[in-house]
Amino acid sequence: MAKSYCLEVSGDFACFTRPEMKVERVSYDVMTPSAARAVFESIVWKPAIRWRVTKIEVLKPIKWISVRRNEVKAVVTTRNVQAAMRAGSGNLGLYVENERQQRAGLFLRDVAYRIHAYFELRDPGFHKPHFPHLSNVPINRGEDDLLALPENNTVKFMNMFERRAFHGQCVNQPYLGCREFACAFRLVEDLKNEPRPIDVTKELGWMLYDLDHSNSSDPKPRFFPARLDNGVVHVPAWESEEVRG
Amino acid sequence: MILQSLYDYYQRKTDLPREGFEWKEIPFVIEVNTSGSVVQIEDTRKQEGNKKRGKPYYIPQRVKKTRNVVANLLWGNAEYVLGLPNSKKLSETKSKAKETEYRKNLKDKREAFIRKIKSLPPPCQADEGVRAVVRFCEHNDYTALERFTEWKEVQTSNQNITFRLQGDIELICQRQAVTDAVSKSATTATPDGVCLITGDTDEIERLHAPIKGVMGAPKAGADIISFNRPAFKSWGKKQGRNAPVGKRSAFSYTTALNYLLGKDSRQHLQVGDASTVFWADKPSPLEDQLPDIFEDDPVDDPDRGALAIRALYKAPHQGIAPINDDQTRFFVLGLVPNAARIAIRFWHVGTVAELAKSIQQHFDDLEIVRSRREKPHLSVLRLLRAVAVQGQRKNIPPNLSGEVMRSIMGRLPYPDTLMQGAIRRVRAEREVTYPRAAIIKACLNRRASIAQTSEKEITVSLDHSNMNPGYRLGRLFAVLEKIQEEAGLDITATLRERFYGAASSTPVTVLSNLMKLKNHHLAKLENRGRRVNLERLISEIMDGVDDFPSHLNLADQGRFNIGYYHQRHALFTKSTETKQGD
Repeated sequence: MAKSYCLEVSGDFACFTRPEMKVERVSYDVMTPSAARAVFESIVWKPAIRWRVTKIEVLKPIKWISVRRNEVKAVVTTRNVQAAMRAGSGNLGLYVENERQQRAGLFLRDVAYRIHAYFELRDPGFHKPHFPHLSNVPINRGEDDLLALPENNTVKFMNMFERRAFHGQCVNQPYLGCREFACAFRLVEDLKNEPRPIDVTKELGWMLYDLDHSNSSDPKPRFFPARLDNGVVHVPAWESEEVRG
Repeated sequence: MILQSLYDYYQRKTDLPREGFEWKEIPFVIEVNTSGSVVQIEDTRKQEGNKKRGKPYYIPQRVKKTRNVVANLLWGNAEYVLGLPNSKKLSETKSKAKETEYRKNLKDKREAFIRKIKSLPPPCQADEGVRAVVRFCEHNDYTALERFTEWKEVQTSNQNITFRLQGDIELICQRQAVTDAVSKSATTATPDGVCLITGDTDEIERLHAPIKGVMGAPKAGADIISFNRPAFKSWGKKQGRNAPVGKRSAFSYTTALNYLLGKDSRQHLQVGDASTVFWADKPSPLEDQLPDIFEDDPVDDPDRGALAIRALYKAPHQGIAPINDDQTRFFVLGLVPNAARIAIRFWHVGTVAELAKSIQQHFDDLEIVRSRREKPHLSVLRLLRAVAVQGQRKNIPPNLSGEVMRSIMGRLPYPDTLMQGAIRRVRAEREVTYPRAAIIKACLNRRASIAQTSEKEITVSLDHSNMNPGYRLGRLFAVLEKIQEEAGLDITATLRERFYGAASSTPVTVLSNLMKLKNHHLAKLENRGRRVNLERLISEIMDGVDDFPSHLNLADQGRFNIGYYHQRHALFTKSTETKQGD
């Protein structure tokens, strides 16, 4: 297995929205694997790599806060876009003052996590349909072949990540579940001197792992049975039996 | 976890309706014979308070409908079952010149009702009861119904109606053939996804049954899981697919929640604007006691709350129910409506023992001296009303109730807005009432104990050793007021009415003046001994205060209120004692 990295992320608020309560939002008790993945991706992401989260450690007691806020209720309709494309011009604006709605949310308060993940190289051709301009590499080449390519080099990406994470650099500000809950992050290099996670063991029920984009026209959510084990959520591998969807 | 726990609760409660069924109050039952002619109309309603309630029957579950025409199986309102116009809707449509549309809609409804019956599988069609209803519908003859006295009310009220076959005890929709068909169609599912509650593959529910009984939500019910705006959807998914919940799980959690929120539920209490339900993994005495502990006492049984709370404290001593080591998990869920949806206001999971301890702690923190007229334990509603303008329920700040409940259950500091509210009301009304004093005391004490500061804890009754300037000045103000009262002046505005606000926030501006004024008041006292006693009391209080502070911070303003409350209470109890001594 490739080298595993650990980031400590912390913030005042977090909302890892449950899909069943995403209208009147309710957060999961702890960070989800997909939220953790997004934090790593905000520091380094390339079509050639894929981040895999292995472990999420909860560092602060789980606290809640209930907030009502304004959110937009509408989206620009496809039909309007098509009409505008045909006509060559049109107004696709959305006026937040007219399209807003009060929504309640049950968020997490004062959170800190240590998230562990490693990355692996993947066939960049996976992204070809979405980002043709990013993928100069012919698709369907073997792993060895890819590794041999000078631009897709594990060591290069590792160096990139270490350098950027150490300096606190990121492509976009990492966040805790919702964009508005930006978080601070820190590369943890020596785990020995770090505080222990909270002393809580409980079942968390089925938790969203991530979305399966292998069929891009109908992405499917995948779930796994999450469990807080002395403050640690062990994330099973994406391909494992426990992950369903 | 909320839905998982509700799902588990449904599995635990075996008396809840099975899939495809629900308990529903049906006011009218039409009894028909095998040839489909009416034998009688039964009015099942019973007077309850000032309302009439129909008898609850176990019937095929209601179909979810919004504006479209969808009929229930073998029951429905008069529009569906008889095609009768609803008088209110009729006059409404008449005034809008849409009567013909409404008549057409009625016809559609009636047809949908009959179609629904005819779509039952063949064994049902052969059933005598079902055949009788079909015949009844085909007769379509109201004159046969008109001779019954109940008819008038059936016509005007548009309430739910169902059928019974002459000679049967159960309804036609409860006949074996029908129930078999219903449960079969409810349980057969073509799995097309993974349920996020159970993790099993199941048919994903498109629309979830509505949740009824949340205060402020539409009467027909509202939803926890619904996607009624384009912005709520993800990845182009439709309705229930945005949050894949299996048919069985969806039925289980909605049925369990509707049961908990039901009219007769003892596991439901209203905390401010939040409809709160609670349940345990296993049957637990706390499930029954919680409403008595937190709600106002019912008029017919004023001691119920006190008894429940006493049980909470005494149980460990008497060994009745070992509530304090009960490790059963306990769930508390607070729901509030928001635009035809239901939002989760708070959600607490703990053990029965933890919760019992938290509740005890809450009442310990609240304890403060009170007059004999006051009840020992304050309900949450009384606390909230004490910080609301005019003490009215509708003026309670939204969200406060949820925050308070969360603090109680999680043994967290009370929300700052609670103490601020209490202090604001005291200043506005110039009256430190028992609930407000209790709130301020509880807020200050709990905050200090959680932050582990060396601040002096506020006691239940007057504390001579408390040297906090706020507390001392509060006491001083109480004595000054008492002196003025005893001086027997004929005045319209007392010291408290004129100066309480200023004295409690910016003491230096008024208190030095009041100290001068006091001398004049004292001079008016006729009893010399009393004069000396009061002077002595003032000097004892002033002993710890070097100077009047220019202003008091919020916590000290709180202490001022408590000092005033304690001292005033002490002054009055003493005087009554001496009177009794005479």
